[in-house]
Amino acid sequence: MRTLTRRLISWTLVLMGASAATGCASDAELDTFAPQGPIARELHSRGVLPVFWIAAAVFVGITIAMVWLIWKNRVKTYDGDDEWPAQTHGHVPLEIGWTVGFLVTMIAVAGIMLWSLPTVDATEDNTMAVTIDDHSVMWEPTIVVVGNQWWWEFRYYFSDQMDLADMRAHGDAKTLPPADIVTSGQMVIPTGEEVELIITSRDVIHSFWIPALNGKRDAVPNRFSPWKIEASVPGFYFGQCTEFCGLSHSRMRMQAVALSPADFQAWVDSTSADAVEPTDPEALAGLEVFSGICTSCHLIEGVNDDVYEGADQASGAAPNLTHFANRSTFAGGIFNTYNADGSLNRTDLEAWLRDPNALKENYTVPGEQYRGMPDLDLSEQQIDDLVAYLSGLGAKPAGWIIEATQVE
Amino acid sequence: MAITEKTPLELGPGDSVRYAERPLGVFTRPQGGRGWRDWLSTVDHKRIGILYGVSAMFFFLVGGVEALLIRLQLAAPEGSVLSADVYNQVYTMHGVTMVFLFIMPLAAAFSNYFIPLQIGARDVAFPRLNALSFWIWLSGAIFLNTSWMVGGGGADCGWFCYSTNSGVAFSPSHGVDFYAIGLQILGIASLVSSVNLIVTCLNMRAPGMTLMRMPVLTWMLLITQFLLLFALPVITVALFLLMFDRLFDAQFFNPDAGADPLLWQHLFWIFGHPEVYIIILPAFGVVSEVIPTFSRKPLFGYEFMVFSGIAIGFMGWGVWAHHMFVSGIGPISVAAFSLSTMFIAVPTGVKVLNWLATMWGGKLRFTVAMKFAVATVAMFTIGGLSGVTHSVAPADTQQTDTYYIVAHFHYVIFGGGVLGLFAGIYFWWPKIWGHFLNERLGNWSFWIMLVGFNLTFGPMHILGLQGMSRRIDTYARGYGFEFWNMAATVGSLLIAVSVVLFIWNVVKSKRDAPHLPPPGPDPWDGRTLEWSIPSPVPVHNFDTVPQVHGRDEWWHTKYAENDEGKVVRVATVEEVAQTGEATGVHLPSPSFWPLAVAVGLPLIGYGLIFNLWLALIGALLTIASLYSWALEPVDDPDAAHDHHDEDHEDDEDDADQSDDGEVDQP
Repeated sequence: MRTLTRRLISWTLVLMGASAATGCASDAELDTFAPQGPIARELHSRGVLPVFWIAAAVFVGITIAMVWLIWKNRVKTYDGDDEWPAQTHGHVPLEIGWTVGFLVTMIAVAGIMLWSLPTVDATEDNTMAVTIDDHSVMWEPTIVVVGNQWWWEFRYYFSDQMDLADMRAHGDAKTLPPADIVTSGQMVIPTGEEVELIITSRDVIHSFWIPALNGKRDAVPNRFSPWKIEASVPGFYFGQCTEFCGLSHSRMRMQAVALSPADFQAWVDSTSADAVEPTDPEALAGLEVFSGICTSCHLIEGVNDDVYEGADQASGAAPNLTHFANRSTFAGGIFNTYNADGSLNRTDLEAWLRDPNALKENYTVPGEQYRGMPDLDLSEQQIDDLVAYLSGLGAKPAGWIIEATQVE
Repeated sequence: MAITEKTPLELGPGDSVRYAERPLGVFTRPQGGRGWRDWLSTVDHKRIGILYGVSAMFFFLVGGVEALLIRLQLAAPEGSVLSADVYNQVYTMHGVTMVFLFIMPLAAAFSNYFIPLQIGARDVAFPRLNALSFWIWLSGAIFLNTSWMVGGGGADCGWFCYSTNSGVAFSPSHGVDFYAIGLQILGIASLVSSVNLIVTCLNMRAPGMTLMRMPVLTWMLLITQFLLLFALPVITVALFLLMFDRLFDAQFFNPDAGADPLLWQHLFWIFGHPEVYIIILPAFGVVSEVIPTFSRKPLFGYEFMVFSGIAIGFMGWGVWAHHMFVSGIGPISVAAFSLSTMFIAVPTGVKVLNWLATMWGGKLRFTVAMKFAVATVAMFTIGGLSGVTHSVAPADTQQTDTYYIVAHFHYVIFGGGVLGLFAGIYFWWPKIWGHFLNERLGNWSFWIMLVGFNLTFGPMHILGLQGMSRRIDTYARGYGFEFWNMAATVGSLLIAVSVVLFIWNVVKSKRDAPHLPPPGPDPWDGRTLEWSIPSPVPVHNFDTVPQVHGRDEWWHTKYAENDEGKVVRVATVEEVAQTGEATGVHLPSPSFWPLAVAVGLPLIGYGLIFNLWLALIGALLTIASLYSWALEPVDDPDAAHDHHDEDHEDDEDDADQSDDGEVDQP
């Protein structure tokens, strides 16, 4: 038994060492210990690391004490009444001592908390110049983030800027004021700017989280909560909904794409325009399919302009597809729009149109409000046409973005 | 109640009370005995404790199978063992089952069995209420699980069941209805039992047993009962609102009708956080009995242990919003709840150091019970410290709702609660059953469980910090989650092996018992009163109710310290232990009515969901049973005069002592 015990202990130690080694694996796109933006970095160094060190020190202290006590005091059996150790019932100064010790430790932890709280709560009044519809505005970088089952919507207000107070006064997340850009799945932000997020939801509670750029904030129906993110260098940052939001919670992902201010302006220019008019016959046929079937939920600016209201969804909304091809993921951030070589990921796109429920469970019982995309019984021809149409909507993202999207 | 029950006794036994004891003119009052029917009508706190314990272990297996399904699904990326829908039901029911149907009733088993024994009482204050709380609990547990068969699946909203996802639009099956009603039924059981046990602790202690002489297990269980008493009404209110929302379209949680979905979260966690202490304090109590016994030392700093338990109980009410740091409550609230959360670590840390100080300079004998107890302290320390790391609210914005939290609370609830209660099972097994659990098998079971536990939940720390979200039915390849998820799944299988070994141990020990020497009243050289009476405990517990002179009364009956401070034996166990041979002890009579009341409640539940007529039948059954119960005297006059069994003869001598209408306390 004794040797077995030792072997178990050594296995455990080996495992703990291995865990420490792989815990820092670089292929973990959601790694909370690999902050990329200034907010996340400060949060990590001020909030996370100090308290981890304190906890680790206490853990090591208690564990060493315990192992030593066990080692020193263990006996096999009690032989008789002579074996009674000194009967200590307590020691008040000692008790007060370690109570004060823990108090002091916790005061230190409280200091860490109060010191790091502003990193997630304080806001800057930064502005940047953005040209929209041919006139320049000073934009206080703000994005309205709306959770839906099971995808995220991002709304950009440049001409008619909305702040937290405006959104709270508006109150209703189901019918938000019209925005200059409405996109989904991928949030595009300029580098070097602190971006205020106003987070809400149209159906259930979700949670918005891009771990490399900041912690998370819940999206609560009809509540508007402030949050912020910032990236210092261009990059592609992964995220995942972290509040359980029903059936396909696990397949509700999102990414933040940080672009240099010039690239961001280019993105604004292309994305604020109406959808590209198709020219080739297949895409035109696809537009016809879209207008006949998809418009009952989806919106493409220039094709159907009524805002979301009336979509057969519990949230009342479905992703805006105006610049579908401009995003490197689709269907709630779970599939890559492009393959590693830059070609269209026809396989997943077709499979999704053929039977969405097989790839991502949706709730589409006839007669009840849909949650997620229903099976539309499209013919193969219709699917091909739709793919031709959708893949022409918007410019293909830069090569490095497509590359960064490939996780495997 | 006591007044109704007293009346017939004052009248004296005779024809005038005959009709009252057969209220509907149909049933014959059960007389007590050894058949299975007597388990249905028992009011003996020990039998009720066993019923709680056995049922809890059954649901441990149910929740364990659910846990294994979760781990099999997550063993590899893009798992296809369960669909997303079924996964959501399974993980919800895993949480609900483990919390409400395993740990809480297992702690209730300890409370029922050992509070009366540790305070030197013959039973709890209200024996029939005690039976009522068990039967209601069991009916609620069965009701909750029938949702798999008749409700279109289990609840799929998580054990926390946040609105608005719990609404009919987002969870259209009946699972959430079963959750809302089932937990209300379970809540009644816990409330009834908490009142009963609080009264027992406060009123039924043996002469001389002041509050500060109560064993620490009883103290921790008493604090737990107070937490239950105040926490359950809050969740009941929330569940009631949810039920009305879902069944009667009440709009309490519909944001489009002006509701605030965060209201549910507040109500849930005002219950939910004290619930954590409801789970962990009984285990703390067990550990505080086991470690001193196998260190041959009294518990270090008894007063500090008691008061830190009370402090945890109090402070546990002021930390609930740390579950909501990212929900959008303002920064001042966040800071306040963050601070209160940190400072609850102080009394908890004090407890850990006191256990270590108890072991300091002791003679540690590592029986299986002691191993479990020490492992509890070690594992709970890890869980407590990871708790401190996310008490820092800004840091928590990275950690909340990830597997880091799953790791944290499993180290607290499994590493602290479950391992602690297992220590209690091995420790008190001979007292309850009159034979030991096999130590060799117990050792295997312990080590496999400890390794399996750490292999399952240790890697979840890493997974969480790597960004793996909670409550996801699958994860994509390439995020770095593959290896540690596989490790966790292997660990969970080890835990399953260990549980199978435990069950085998139960069977084998029972089978081997006739060939082994009996444990006697005091196999571990124990310290508290339950070790002064025979094992298994006779139905009347104590031949004579002991006079208590100090803490660890039983130990002081056996030992004293001489002038040099050395421990000397003053009496052997054989000399001072009670023989259990007393006759004529007056005991409360069995009753079927608690069971009948409990049968009505799930009928009301099914009725509310499927057909209101059924609810009416259930309500009539419950109300009629309550009236019948009220009209039934606590002591059966027939039992005293027609059936001279060993527990009831000499009833005349006890007549004036039974004036309290309940259990005799000479």
